[in-house]
Amino acid sequence: MNKLQRKVVRDLAASKGLFLAVIMVIFLGVALFGASFIAYQNLRSSYDYTYERLRFADFTVKVVEAPTETVEELESIPGIEAVTGRMNVDIALGLPGEETRGVLARVISLPSDSRPAVNDVKVEEGSYFQEGEGNVLLVEKSFAEHHELKPEDTVFLTVDDQEISFRIAGIITSPEYIWPAKSRQEILASPETFGVVFVPQDTVSGLVGKPFINEFCFLIDEGADRDSIIAEVVGTLAPYEVMDVVTQEEQPSNAALEMDLEQFGEMARVFPLLFLIVGALATYILLSRIVHNQRAQIGLMRAVGYSRRQVLVHYQIFALVIGIIGAISGAIAGYFLSEALTNFYIGLLGLPFTRIETQWLAMGEGVLIGLLPCIIAGILPAYSASRLRPAEAMRTPPPATGRKILLERLFPFFTRLSSLWKIPLRNIFRNRRRSLYTVIGVTFGVSLILVSGGMIDSIYALLDVHFDKIQTYDAQVTFAQPQSTALVSEVKGWEGVEESEPILQVPTRLEHEDRVYSTLVIGLSPDSELYGLYSTGGDQVTVSEEGILLSEGLRKTLDIHVGETINVRSLPAVSQLEVVGFVKQTMGSFGYVTLHQAQSIAGDQDVISGILLNVEPQHADTIREKAYQIPATASVELTSETRKELDEMLDYAVSMLWIMLGFGAALALAIVFTTVTVNILERRREIATMRTLGESKTRIAAMATIENLLLGLAGLIPGIILGYALALYFFSLLQTDVFSFDLVIFSRTYVLTAGLVILIMLISQLPGIRQVNRLNLSQVIKEQVT
Amino acid sequence: MFKPASGEPGNFLLQLEDVSRTYQMGLMEVKALSHVTLNVVRGEFIVILGPSGSGKTTLLNLIGGIDSPSSGKITVDGIEITALDEKGLTFYRRHHIGFVFQFFNLIPTLTAKENVEFAAELVEKRRDVLEVLELVGLQERASHYPSELSGGEQQRVAIARAMVKDPPILLCDELTGELDFETGKHILAAMRRINEVNHKTVLLVTHNTAIGDIAHRVIRIRSGEIVEVRENPSPADPQELRW
Ligand SMILES: Nc1ncnc2c1ncn2[C@@H]1O[C@H](COP(=O)(O)OP(=O)(O)OP(=O)(O)O)[C@@H](O)[C@H]1O
Ligand SMILES: [Mg+2]
Repeated sequence: MNKLQRKVVRDLAASKGLFLAVIMVIFLGVALFGASFIAYQNLRSSYDYTYERLRFADFTVKVVEAPTETVEELESIPGIEAVTGRMNVDIALGLPGEETRGVLARVISLPSDSRPAVNDVKVEEGSYFQEGEGNVLLVEKSFAEHHELKPEDTVFLTVDDQEISFRIAGIITSPEYIWPAKSRQEILASPETFGVVFVPQDTVSGLVGKPFINEFCFLIDEGADRDSIIAEVVGTLAPYEVMDVVTQEEQPSNAALEMDLEQFGEMARVFPLLFLIVGALATYILLSRIVHNQRAQIGLMRAVGYSRRQVLVHYQIFALVIGIIGAISGAIAGYFLSEALTNFYIGLLGLPFTRIETQWLAMGEGVLIGLLPCIIAGILPAYSASRLRPAEAMRTPPPATGRKILLERLFPFFTRLSSLWKIPLRNIFRNRRRSLYTVIGVTFGVSLILVSGGMIDSIYALLDVHFDKIQTYDAQVTFAQPQSTALVSEVKGWEGVEESEPILQVPTRLEHEDRVYSTLVIGLSPDSELYGLYSTGGDQVTVSEEGILLSEGLRKTLDIHVGETINVRSLPAVSQLEVVGFVKQTMGSFGYVTLHQAQSIAGDQDVISGILLNVEPQHADTIREKAYQIPATASVELTSETRKELDEMLDYAVSMLWIMLGFGAALALAIVFTTVTVNILERRREIATMRTLGESKTRIAAMATIENLLLGLAGLIPGIILGYALALYFFSLLQTDVFSFDLVIFSRTYVLTAGLVILIMLISQLPGIRQVNRLNLSQVIKEQVT
Repeated sequence: MFKPASGEPGNFLLQLEDVSRTYQMGLMEVKALSHVTLNVVRGEFIVILGPSGSGKTTLLNLIGGIDSPSSGKITVDGIEITALDEKGLTFYRRHHIGFVFQFFNLIPTLTAKENVEFAAELVEKRRDVLEVLELVGLQERASHYPSELSGGEQQRVAIARAMVKDPPILLCDELTGELDFETGKHILAAMRRINEVNHKTVLLVTHNTAIGDIAHRVIRIRSGEIVEVRENPSPADPQELRW
């Protein structure tokens, strides 16, 4: 090892705490990137593989009713690889031991004796249908798990007010219900009230009286033009009234997974990026301070004959060491984390098939993206070191001028402050660059914590808005078939019912110019108190006969504005309604009209699809039981239960955010530690001199604390601004037609974040203060001449 | 006693022609050196005397190629160093100059020996590190860090570092400033030996008028100008010095 290299090792050892802190930032950034990016790739390829194995449909067309022969006709369309025709109906399902509880089952038909050509299922337990078995069905896994259903158990389907018992032949997973979404609007369907079962084609035909098809699933040849095939299919199926065309991207489960995965992928990109920016910043700050402090040494190196390049490389090596250690260890940690993360996710979703490969490329990328910021951050300080003029660099800097700082000149009372305050203040203004670094450190620290904190707040705020302002009813009864409006007043007479209101949900297609969106139009009574609607400005609004209110998200999806007219296409009719406003929405995107309008959209019948209730809590259970006795009742949803379930589901998302917050805090610690420690250590001589002049250790610690606190306070405001901006950016990624988040940061979060960062700061300065207070004074004074 | 070559133009190792160096300090101009012309013969031992702030260090810096004049020309060994680029200057500093700095400038994270090696590693043809340390009487302190050395010991490390590259020109700023009388004499004697035996050219800056006696020539500067050049027909032996 030559002496230049030895100097690197000794310098690294001399400031190992600082280097470790910066290395940790890079380590965390690369580990996060590795973990999330590799997990992202694993999930992506597992989804693709599952879809391939189970022949997941490229698109699905829903019609009102078509004869079974249509399938052959469709198969002959060029470009179509396979077609499956099936029945898809929602039927009330009874569970053993839970007779009072209704569950809405999506009943989908499958060939009685063979596997479907499209949208196959994977049998996880039990077996597929065998010929001549009678009433059997297959249950989707997450639903089966929730209700602890096993093969050979019995469940009941209610058809024409009759309960028919079915034996469970097997538990399956389906590519269409990996994420068991009820529809695109109800992506967070609870297994408590919604499940998917598969029944042999023959059996369904027997149940409903005749064989027919209301859903066609298509696989197309590779490279075929899907849009033109869809057009042809829609043409062919026109006689049977095409209700909806759902492409693979729009398929609810896939869309939910895709959205989740894309957000995950986005996080995999953005969050580590944040770390690496901070890492680069920390590297830059550390190196430029090293170069600053080694001016005399650099001058000497140049004077004895080291070349500019040797000096440049020498200082660049420090950055390289940070980068290499941080990036490689980060990539390795990321790899193991990704395994855990992938397994966690796969287990959570119960993916039927997985394909996990060692992502060498992703790991390589991780190393590279850890290394690059360090190298880049090192260039500037290393370059400036190589450009120092030797004679000048070796001149011992003139003693710090006793000049009054601007503050003192502007406000004379500063001069009268005690030295406990005066010295820190002067230090701050005398070395503005060093002070700026500390402020930047705090700024980033605050913003990193605030981002995750804000997201956690927003999730809880979303729940609050949803349950306290929008869904203000205590219970909702949903019917499998439309019921008479008279039921509303009948139910109102029940004991414990405080309030009851009608609701009519009509499945529709909203059309505006060339944009189309399939969703429910919800009819409410104009003076509804159980379903709150709020304008985007936040004022409460009500439905009116003048037109339709749309969820905020549809403004963009349909490219429509207030005053324009929209086509509302339902099974029996097409109505034209004027858009009279947009309303805030939390989950899903809907249209809102008066009950009367909804009834006319649904075909001018005096019907409702459900009842909203406010009930006295102690009567909730009896009311639910009573509601289930209405034959058409499909489900009774208690808001308190829904909220609890949703809380549980979101707990998982929130726990991810807490992990992010932990990372953010670690990062804050690293950058604050780096800047604060640099700040203190740089002044070892000054501090030693102060001590020889008789300052006590306590007073020196107090001065350092005051200085750091003042700098910390200065970093709070920009940190909050930056954190808010970052959170806004993350939120723009989360906005979809399915979820609409508003960024909400509770004031206590600001306070806690600020408090946490200041605390981090106070803790960070301890090692530095301890070190300078332990200094051997005579040695430090000697360094002055060295 | 060794005599330097005669002062004919062809024998000049070092030529300064009308060299000035001014520093800009805000609106003020500091004339550190003005219109200095000086010729040094190969093998000469020169002592530079002058009060504080007179420009002695500036002069050495210019000769050593770590600073450049505001005007004038410096030629060393036929090479015009004032016309060299960074690369050329680096080579020049590496191979022609041994510098003992007024403030020693040791690397604090390297031991005494390593500090000497730090310079030695730059050149192929170098002296033995331990031998040089012995010459300055520091073999015992070889593995001490600068902060564990006294001021005089640090200065001697700096001297060893200058000598180890075996350069033709040695520039010594305040060589004996930190040394006691005996050690100082010892070091001066070593310098003289290098000058006589190895024919090295030595320029030595000092406040100490007495040291002038051992030089071939004594140059006095004041306020950046050479005010006196005195030839010393028979330089004294360092051992005879009194101060
Ligand atoms: N980089 C610089 N910027 C401004 N002024 C300078 C600079 N270097 C030297 N000077 C000034 O030039 C003058 C000569 O300085 P120099 O260091 O050469 O003096 P010196 O003779 O070596 O003094 P001493 O015996 O105290 O070391 C001084 O007035 C000094 O303040
Ligand atoms: Mg000087």
